Amino acid sequence: MIDINERFSEKKNFFNRLIFVYIFFACLFLYLIYKTFSLQVSSFTDYEIASLKNKTREVLIQPRRGIIYDRNGEIIVNNVPSYNLIINPSAIYDLNSTLSDIKKIIDLSDLEIKNAQDNFSLKKKLNRELILKTNLTNEEIAKFEVRKYRYPNLFIAERYSRENMYPYLFSHSVGYVGSINEEGLQDILSSQDLKPRETIFKYSNGYLKGKTGLENIYDKQLRGFFGKRIYEVDANGRFLEEKETIDSIDGKDIYTSLDLKAQQVAYNELNNRRGAVVAVNLENGAILSYVSSPSFSVNDITNGLSQNEFNKLLNDNDKPFFDRAGQGRYSPASTIKPAIGLFGLEKDLIDWQYTIDDIGFFVLPEDGRIYRGWRKDGHGIINLQDAIIESSNTFFFSLAYQTEVSELIEYLSNFGFGKNICLDCFYPDKGLLPSPTWKMNTHNFGWFKGDTVNLGVGQGYLSATPLQLAYYSSFLANKGSLNNFSFVQNNKDVIRNNFITNNINDVDWKKIHESMIGVIEDPKGTAGRLKNLKEYIIAAKSGTVELVSTETKEDYKIIREIEGNRDHAIIIAFGPMPNPKYAVSVVIENGESGGSVAGPVAIAVLNSLIKE
Amino acid sequence: MKKIIDSLKSGIYFDHYLFISITILSLMGLVFLYSASDGNATTVIKQSFFVIFGLILMFIVSQPDPDFYKNNSLIFLIFSIILILLTLFVGKEVNGATRWLDLGFFTLQPSEIIKIALPVFLAAYLYDKTLPISLLNTFITLALIIVVANFVRIQPDLGTSLVILIAGLYVLFLAGLSWRFIGVSFGIFILSLPFIWNNFLEPFQRQRILTLLDPTADPFGSGWNITQSKIAIGSGGIQGKGYQMGSQAHLDFLPETETDFIFSVIAEEFGFIGVCILLSIFFFILLRCLYLALNARDRFCRLTVGGLSLLFLSTIFINLAMVIGIIPVVGMPLPFISKGGSSLLSFYLAFGIIISMATHKKLMQK
Repeated sequence: MIDINERFSEKKNFFNRLIFVYIFFACLFLYLIYKTFSLQVSSFTDYEIASLKNKTREVLIQPRRGIIYDRNGEIIVNNVPSYNLIINPSAIYDLNSTLSDIKKIIDLSDLEIKNAQDNFSLKKKLNRELILKTNLTNEEIAKFEVRKYRYPNLFIAERYSRENMYPYLFSHSVGYVGSINEEGLQDILSSQDLKPRETIFKYSNGYLKGKTGLENIYDKQLRGFFGKRIYEVDANGRFLEEKETIDSIDGKDIYTSLDLKAQQVAYNELNNRRGAVVAVNLENGAILSYVSSPSFSVNDITNGLSQNEFNKLLNDNDKPFFDRAGQGRYSPASTIKPAIGLFGLEKDLIDWQYTIDDIGFFVLPEDGRIYRGWRKDGHGIINLQDAIIESSNTFFFSLAYQTEVSELIEYLSNFGFGKNICLDCFYPDKGLLPSPTWKMNTHNFGWFKGDTVNLGVGQGYLSATPLQLAYYSSFLANKGSLNNFSFVQNNKDVIRNNFITNNINDVDWKKIHESMIGVIEDPKGTAGRLKNLKEYIIAAKSGTVELVSTETKEDYKIIREIEGNRDHAIIIAFGPMPNPKYAVSVVIENGESGGSVAGPVAIAVLNSLIKE
Repeated sequence: MKKIIDSLKSGIYFDHYLFISITILSLMGLVFLYSASDGNATTVIKQSFFVIFGLILMFIVSQPDPDFYKNNSLIFLIFSIILILLTLFVGKEVNGATRWLDLGFFTLQPSEIIKIALPVFLAAYLYDKTLPISLLNTFITLALIIVVANFVRIQPDLGTSLVILIAGLYVLFLAGLSWRFIGVSFGIFILSLPFIWNNFLEPFQRQRILTLLDPTADPFGSGWNITQSKIAIGSGGIQGKGYQMGSQAHLDFLPETETDFIFSVIAEEFGFIGVCILLSIFFFILLRCLYLALNARDRFCRLTVGGLSLLFLSTIFINLAMVIGIIPVVGMPLPFISKGGSSLLSFYLAFGIIISMATHKKLMQK
């Protein structure tokens, strides 16, 4: 009996314990099912995305960059195709035998072979193509094409290089492209909602970005939009199948206002002298010519220059990288005189009949200081028109002396001095339009009457870039009404500036133009030597920028021994008169004579434009 | 009951429920394996041979009277311990672990045999002892369990040694280990955890536990397996991606798809519905085992059926919990589904013994 009881309790105990463990595990399994449910049902979307991300890989497709044209449709910057020899490593078992096969028809350098050997296994693993040789010659391409059937895993594909057709002509206007750092790439891609990743390049030198000039200013339009190719990949990142392709959108071409011929003329006329030429279309403010000299080859910069060669350019005393046209500061010198004359007329300080007796110098009444003209004995009794033609300093000294400096400064700013007058120039300098406040702040000196007198002949603190001088020239030509400058034809964004005046009428403008024509045509004109160079009537005003102040011609002869001390040559000009279409400014550093050195360059550019 | 009598009459010992459900499970396993092995026919044919051989083995093993197992359990245990020791000396090394004996036509994993032999021996040993078990017997059996489990641990095979340890403990527990003893041991175990962590775990095993706690800490290193397994299961959704359509499994994101992580493949391709169907078959087998254990003819049979079915239950749980990411990654196959001859055969062997215990009734119960 005891035995039966004992067995009964033992059995009951066993039941309880077994069921206890089963219930324990039932709870665990319930938790497990709950976990599975939450993975598969509640968080399904998250995991579905994770799984999709796992197995797809997006590869970016580089867009083709826009082409840059001149105003007549001549290509300035183009994408020049080059041909690369490419293999498909996944289908190749023995690289070295393949390479020696290839070497029978196309020569491979040691570097190219080493590069192929180094990258082969990785590219094979990932199922990517491997570039063996870039820039194949026509002969190599032809040799390969006829034997193509023997190399099933070898092909030739096209890659572009960005090339300027006139590498020295447009260095400072169109600028150049360069490769891009990680950060810059991130910026570009994030603007298109993309992340940096593997890319199929259309350019041999990878990602491109406009570094300077129009390539930089219009980078966004030129760049285009990256496309995408979506692949299925395995856990090792190996491409298995192409799923979808979203084509890249090529960049927009840009039709600039630059004129190839005028550009060539300007560049050749400057002939590597330090200087700049800017020419514009008066009708719309479009820049036709923009040259800074000496120049450099943009293609060399884009497609790689040795550090040595680069340093040579960088340390060149003539500073070829420096954009003299947009960033060089020069005193306007005598070219300012028409503007000072206009101010005198505006303020009724003078009229066209007003004369002074030019005895060769002006004495500042305050301190007896002497301000000399360029002709020792002066120009005698002289009115405004002759003062412009003969470039009388004394006339404008005494006129400036009568002006209120703040009014004069405000007036000059209408002519583009001290401000940016270009819509799409690459970091244009504003020059310097001085004022008493400016002088106090920078030099800690008050404004002297003598400073105002100097302003009257464009010397002293006032400085402007050749671009601003071209604007000033255009302003005079167009009688005060003109567009801001732009490099693009019919740019809709340009602002038209209208000169507001109470006192200057059409007769005044006409006389100003006549005076400036006289600079060349009149026997007494300072640029009379240009008379025979031109084929049309041209208005001009020359200037000579004194870098070192000298009392006498003998003194100047001494200082001019050093080239850097010689005067700068400046001229502004427009034509054909009487209805001018083009305006130009020319600066030649240390050129000494505005009329006879800068003048011929201006005339040549205008001739070229007018003839067209 | 009528059926058992019928089979008694015909002299064949057979349990329809278990036989049919295990056969269905095995066939499903072959289907899953074909996808998990990326359509590798050789793997599936090899596995098919094991399934056929296993089913025959199960049938043969279920024929002898339980007393045969009771009387020979010591011989089985000694035999399997010898195999384990042999493995340590002449075993085949794969991935730094020496777990296999190369028999030429088949590589045997002796730890899979000892995981059956140990609970059977313990049940036989405790068969005629007075209950509740004396302290002396408790220590003798515990020592045996720990020694055997340790033989497997040093191979190293933490997963199987853990299963052997718990299979032995189940038998002790079912035999009536006192709650006080359990409580005290548990306390000691908890206190000695830092010691076990420092002295008994290999660095990679420690890393796996750390990975479990935060798989995102190193998603491309040791957290890779768990992360990819979760993505596979989660992306299966309710209906699954379809047979052989699992991208996680077929594009190599998922590791060990044929063995440890085959459940993730099933969950990815057949979704939550497939998971539920698979689990219901497992549950059916487990409930049948519970029924058989509760109705077993004597203490030996009760302890054996109880111990082996809990062994089966734990193996399933550990595998699923591992691939879902709630316990660390330990090598543990999914019974009847995962590739691997030894583990497959060990469960046919276990169920053969269970059927033998359940179908042999003595005319006069003791």
